[in-house]
This record gives sequence, structure tokens and C-alpha cells, in this order.
Amino acid sequence: MHRTWQRHLNKLRWLMLSLVFGTLILLPFFHLYQTYLASHSYDLLLPKEKLVYDSMESLTAPFLSDPEKQLEAVKGTTWSGTWFGLKLSDPLAVISQASAGMKLYWPFILTAAIPLLFTVIFGRFFCGWICPATFAYELNDKLGMWLRQAGLPISQRRMDRRLKYLVLGIGAVLSAATGAVLFAAVYPPAIIGREIYYAVAVGGFGGGTVFFLLTLLFDLMVSRRGFCRYVCPGGALYALLGRYRVFRIQRNVATCNDCAKCNVACQFGLDPLRDGFGQECNNCTACIAVCPTDALRFELKAKDAVNQGPGHLGQLYRKQQQTSEKAEVQKI
Amino acid sequence: MERRSLIKYFVAGAIVGAASLPSFARSAQKKAATASRYLRPPGALPEDGFLANCIHCGKCGEVCPNRAINFFGLENGLASLDTPYIVPREQACILCMKCGEVCPTGALKPIARELGEIVANVKMGHARVDKNLCLSYQGKTCGVCARACPLPDIAMSIGFLETPIVMGGCVGCGLCERSCIQIPPSIRVIPDMERS
Repeated sequence: MHRTWQRHLNKLRWLMLSLVFGTLILLPFFHLYQTYLASHSYDLLLPKEKLVYDSMESLTAPFLSDPEKQLEAVKGTTWSGTWFGLKLSDPLAVISQASAGMKLYWPFILTAAIPLLFTVIFGRFFCGWICPATFAYELNDKLGMWLRQAGLPISQRRMDRRLKYLVLGIGAVLSAATGAVLFAAVYPPAIIGREIYYAVAVGGFGGGTVFFLLTLLFDLMVSRRGFCRYVCPGGALYALLGRYRVFRIQRNVATCNDCAKCNVACQFGLDPLRDGFGQECNNCTACIAVCPTDALRFELKAKDAVNQGPGHLGQLYRKQQQTSEKAEVQKI
Repeated sequence: MERRSLIKYFVAGAIVGAASLPSFARSAQKKAATASRYLRPPGALPEDGFLANCIHCGKCGEVCPNRAINFFGLENGLASLDTPYIVPREQACILCMKCGEVCPTGALKPIARELGEIVANVKMGHARVDKNLCLSYQGKTCGVCARACPLPDIAMSIGFLETPIVMGGCVGCGLCERSCIQIPPSIRVIPDMERS
């Protein structure tokens, strides 16, 4: 059987997540290298600073003629960054700045236009494909799986997924009341980008790291991927924006065999087996990758199919068919 | 059942929010009142506007070639968490204006790297000399701060025995404070949180 190329998307996604995370680690080192270049004082550097200088020089020398200037091209984090002159910002950053300042600042809002457009088309793609926290959370989830297999009693509580919309709403109200951008302190991708920069270039991890470790612990001990599913205000915003996304994973009931691997693979606890995707799906494609019959794939559709019943290659469907055939035979 | 649990969350959230509001507001006020000694990067809006617009992305620090920009933890109140600041005695601003250029939200206004623009728009603070501590005022010719000043005869002029005289054009970059050979420094930048 000719298999769909889409089952490789999950590997591509992991490549993407690793690239983003790797870039976030590399950028502060580039920054240090630039400051060393600006100070013209190689001989005064400490041995470990020289190590940074030398390694960054060997990394950039083949590609850049003037690293001090050219490295300015990529700056910042996924929260807000510059990508070869193009300023890109997280839509949540725009929401929080607008609610804290009670004013619309158009140059900033425009920087969120491209992410916004992608979100309307692909839904929570940021959560699955870019978010540096997802990188850590998914590895954390693998760890949780091993711990469960080793016999540790790990809870997999389900909560109300609408909780995160409350976090988004209350956060916006509190930002407006205090005049401070509060989301930045509790939004994991913003925290990670910042904390890596602090750790490498400023002088050690800050309080955000403690918060992030707590969310890892929450995911591990209380609820699988709990923070993304129930708390994250950015996830809430993307889910709302992506409610009518055009690209969505759908189940082809004719080739589904009811094996339920998709439901096990889905870290968000969704129900692909019964067509339960909804606005929460972050397009991680893990279900496509595990599906043995390629029944799951991306489709151009503005709405999920309602539950199409048991897959046609499964036993349940066959039994249903047999009983209905018998009934017809008896009728005749 | 689902709706009831939603209401439960909502009530809990509202209570937590309402309970924490006064403390948030207090911490915001406290920051304005105490004004511990720090400068915001050049081009910063007045403190309240700055806090409302800064999204704590850290890009200003990331482009600072002089590594002058540092970031607050909780020591200046919750509202200041992860916002940029400069302590000139540690590392002063060299007025390269890269931070304003890279700031996405306008919390740091973009200011061209031109003399007139900088003098007119950068208002980090104002330098003040303690004549009892200053060596030049005590008859021992020094003049280091005047040599460090990036805006000679606009921000600072020198009198007899190289005594520093701070002028109206001082933008508060802090290079004089950083260069002062006295401990404690005899010239310091008084932060201007209103940037007026």
C-alpha cells in the first residue's frame, strides 16, 4: 500500500522544535560574542570567555564577514523577535500590552500579523511546532510515561479545559488594573527564551525558571500536559483564534480500524478515534505518525466531522454490518 | 456538571484576582515612591507608561553592545519583574541607541543616533556633583568625568582645575559616574522617572 507522506510530519516537527530551542540557546552566545568584538579586548577575556569567543568565531566565520553587525539580524525570542529585519511578536504579547497600556500601538500590533494569520489557518500550530516550552513538555511527557511503566503512581487528572480561557480573561483584566504586562511572567515560551538569555549572558537563571520547573512537575505528577491544556493563556488565545482553522487533522472512517493508538499518542487527551479534535488540537501530528492504516491526515476543512462511528476496518463495524444484513435478510 | 465546575473555577479565579489586586496596585505605587537608584535605557517612556508597554522580551539587553542593560528580578516590585535597567556605576550607557531601535512596543522610543536627537529626547536622569568629594573641587586636578562625557560642552563643561560643571544638556548616560575615580563616586546620575 502506498503510505501517506504526512506520517513523517512528526519528525519534521521535532526538527523544527529542536531548531527553535537550539536557536534560543545560540543567540545569547552570539550576543556575548558581539560584545567581546565591540570591546576589542580579546587578551583581557577569561579562559571561558575566550572559549565562547573562539567557538562562536569558528561557527560564524565561514558565513559572515562582519559578525558584529550581521549577527544583529536575528535577535529576541519567540515572545518577540527580529528575524532578518522582520519583527515578529506573539499575539499574546500584543493582547497583554494593549490591556496593560489601554492603548493600541500599531507598529507593535503589525508585528503579530503574520503569526495571527498562521494561527487562523493552522490553529494552535505555535503550540505544537514552535513553542520552546513544548519541546521540554513533550520530553517531560516521555519521562512521565517511563515513570508510569516503572510503576510510579502518577496521576492523570482531567480538568476543565476552559480553565485556560479564564486565565486569559483574568490575566487581561489584572493587566489593565495594574498597568503591568503580567502574562510575560507566567507564559512558558516567554519565560524560557528570557531565562536562557539570563543564564548565558546576564548572570544566572531567574525566578522564571522556578515557575517553569513547577509547571513541569505539574505535568508530570498531576495532569498529562496539564499546563498547555488547562492553564496556558497563549494556548487559550490560539485555540480561540484557530477555532475555524482551515487545515485540520481528520479521520477517514473508511480506512480506520479502531486500534485507538491515536488516542494514546495524543498528549492533549483528545479523541481522534471518535473525531474529537476541536479547537484544542495543536497539529502535533503524533496521531498521524502512529496510525497504522493512514486513516488520519490533514484536510482542508473549516469544521470537524461529527462522530462518524466505528472505523470500517474494525471488528465493531463488521459486526454491525452483519447484524444489519441479517435484519435485512429476515425482512425479505 | 461541566458548567458547575466552570462556575467554580470562575468564582475561585475572581476571588484570587480580587484578593491580589490591592497588593498589585500597592507594589506598583511603591515602585514610583521609592524609585530605587536605577536608570531605564535611553528613550524610555515615563515610568508608568514604560511599565504598561514593556513586554519583558529582553531584546534591548540582547542588542546592548556594552552589556549595560540588566534585568530586574522581584527586588523592585512585581510590576518591574524582568524589565531592563541600568546601574551606571556597574556599566553605563554609551548612547548607541540600538535598544530603542529594537524595542517592539515603543516602551523605548526609537531615537536616531544623532547629536541633536539624543540631546533632545534622551532623559534618563541628570548628573550631580558632590563638591566635597570631587577631587578637582578639592584642589587636586582630576577631570576624568569630563573626559568620559560623550557630550562635552553640551552636558558638561570644565572650570578652573578641571572642575566639572554639569549643564542642561546632560542626558544621564552615567559615563561620568562610571569613570569617577572616587569611592563612593563624587558625581552621580539622579534618575528621572518622569523623563521630563
